[in-house]
Amino acid sequence: MIGFIILSIFIAIVIIAFSAVTQKKLADSIILFMGVGLGSIVLFFVFQAPDVALTEAVIGAGISSVIFLMALKHLGVQR
Amino acid sequence: MNIKHDLPASTASGFALSAIFVLTILNIILQNIPNVTQSAGNQLLKLNETEGVANAVTTVVVYFRGFDTLGEISVLFIASLGIGLMLHKNSECNLKVQSNFMLKTASKLLFPIIMLFGLYVMIYGHLSPGGGFQGGVIVASGVLLLLISDKSFEVPHSLILILETFAGVSYVLIGLIGLFTLDIFLGNFLPNDISQMGMLLSGGIIPIIYIIVGIKVGSEMSMIVQNLIKRSDNV
Repeated sequence: MIGFIILSIFIAIVIIAFSAVTQKKLADSIILFMGVGLGSIVLFFVFQAPDVALTEAVIGAGISSVIFLMALKHLGVQR
Repeated sequence: MNIKHDLPASTASGFALSAIFVLTILNIILQNIPNVTQSAGNQLLKLNETEGVANAVTTVVVYFRGFDTLGEISVLFIASLGIGLMLHKNSECNLKVQSNFMLKTASKLLFPIIMLFGLYVMIYGHLSPGGGFQGGVIVASGVLLLLISDKSFEVPHSLILILETFAGVSYVLIGLIGLFTLDIFLGNFLPNDISQMGMLLSGGIIPIIYIIVGIKVGSEMSMIVQNLIKRSDNV
């Protein structure tokens, strides 16, 4: 059972990462990048690394996305 | 949308390589699920019986690899220093749009809870998952919430200076006391009996060092975030 959950999360991460690279708008790419972080949080937690999951939740999905959005705002690219 | 014409050849080959990599990992996982998910933690748990700390990862990060942690927070300090040097002309907040009512109210509500959770993760780093790095970054994300909701908010520079100096100096001082008493740098000179395992005051110097790491990481990440948000446009 847990194997199928892990398998589906793996496939979802690959699909989300592919669509994040192929997006036209950079803001959409950042949102999808947060989705990749969300999937990897679950994977880290399943593989008994809750410390890494907590770090990924705070840094990967939180602070780095906000910093990316700030950089996008400063660059002034089309939204 | 034709994806093939938008992507260069290196990106496509990178996707192919990563697909092969992911398929290999999946093959390994699906062959022996019980071994992968059950034995990794048990091997680590055998390590921490010598120091009396409930969280084995903390024992590895702070005690067995304590010198590496000192190097890591030095790297973070250098990164914070570089960002501060490049973006030091922080005159006023650069957010042109006024933040809306919901963000202002929610940040006032959420900021104490986020700070409390960060301090909890920091102080209980030797008992539960988490620790100094995670707690410090949670505190910095609370500061980030205040920074994007309130234009006039600014972390006082003198407070960051005091906290960071105190944390860095006391980390090295604890290591030197261990060197003089036990002939090991960062040696565990406080009582670390196995019978106290799971208590708040257990593990000797390990929780003290993790709280110090949390203070240092929290102040450095707060300064990085503040410099990035309040930078001037002419850099």
